[in-house]
Amino acid sequence: MGVIGYGLGVIGAGIGIGLAAHGAALGIARQPEMQSRLFTIFILGAAFSEALALIGLVLALIQ
Amino acid sequence: MSQFGDYMAELLATKPSQDITPFLSQYSIYLYISVIVVLVVVVYACKKVQLIPHGFWAGGFEHMMDWLRRDVGYNVIGPDADRHMPFLMTIFVFILTSNLIGLIPGVHGATGTIGVTLALAIISFIYFNYYGVKAQGKRYILSFAPKGVAFPMNVLVWVIELFSCFLRLITLAIRLFGNMYAGHLALGAFAILTSVFFMPLAQGLTLAAVGGALPGILWFLFLVLMYFMELLMACIQAYVFTMLSSVYIQLAAYNEE
Repeated sequence: MGVIGYGLGVIGAGIGIGLAAHGAALGIARQPEMQSRLFTIFILGAAFSEALALIGLVLALIQ
Repeated sequence: MSQFGDYMAELLATKPSQDITPFLSQYSIYLYISVIVVLVVVVYACKKVQLIPHGFWAGGFEHMMDWLRRDVGYNVIGPDADRHMPFLMTIFVFILTSNLIGLIPGVHGATGTIGVTLALAIISFIYFNYYGVKAQGKRYILSFAPKGVAFPMNVLVWVIELFSCFLRLITLAIRLFGNMYAGHLALGAFAILTSVFFMPLAQGLTLAAVGGALPGILWFLFLVLMYFMELLMACIQAYVFTMLSSVYIQLAAYNEE
């Protein structure tokens, strides 16, 4: 049951990381010279939304 | 396939955090090993500081330091980044070393347990709060409220921001631990699947056993793929921890609009 809950929770994090990657790809395509700054921002955004999924994973494991 | 469930339950039930004595575990042994590795490499690389670094380790460290200073330091903190580089560099090298040591099969890397990552997160938390208080004094506790927001909302946002500041401590710890632990579990699951399919081959070389082992090859390819993924993850997580620490330092100490 916890695994199912974790799968449901990961949907949101997946959408979040996908949106971050979308924005970063668009930005880099328009301004390739900003690549290093945009990559940093992408990693930060992905890390923040990933943390939510990982809290779900930990909760699913410790039950 | 029922064998897989048994082995997986065994993998999940192992608690290496207390396996030798209650105070000494495999995690702490590998923690000391990674500290020794870092010290040996750093002392070896920086044995004599030269204007032009010679050799593999010295050149590599110089390059890594330069990249971190540009990418994490000047990009995020700004011109005053050199004061914080020793702390950020220490955190980065230590986390990277223990992540990579944890990827050797059979090793329980130090960052795969919540205790070590929580300790690192507490160090980072105390560091950026110390510099926040040092830079802003008593106004630091009020600086969580955004400027230019009307009175009643101001207080509400301040409470939420204060809560999220303490949440930073937990998310820093959980992010590193969760990534490493989930990676180790995924590698373990693929390794178990591979061995479950190859096990009939060990009892006798029959045609049925060879046919049954064919899916095992696929799982083994997934295992190798996942291993490289985890290699990437080990570097990215060390980078993310360092990056977030520097972002928090910037928010606490250099956030005067």
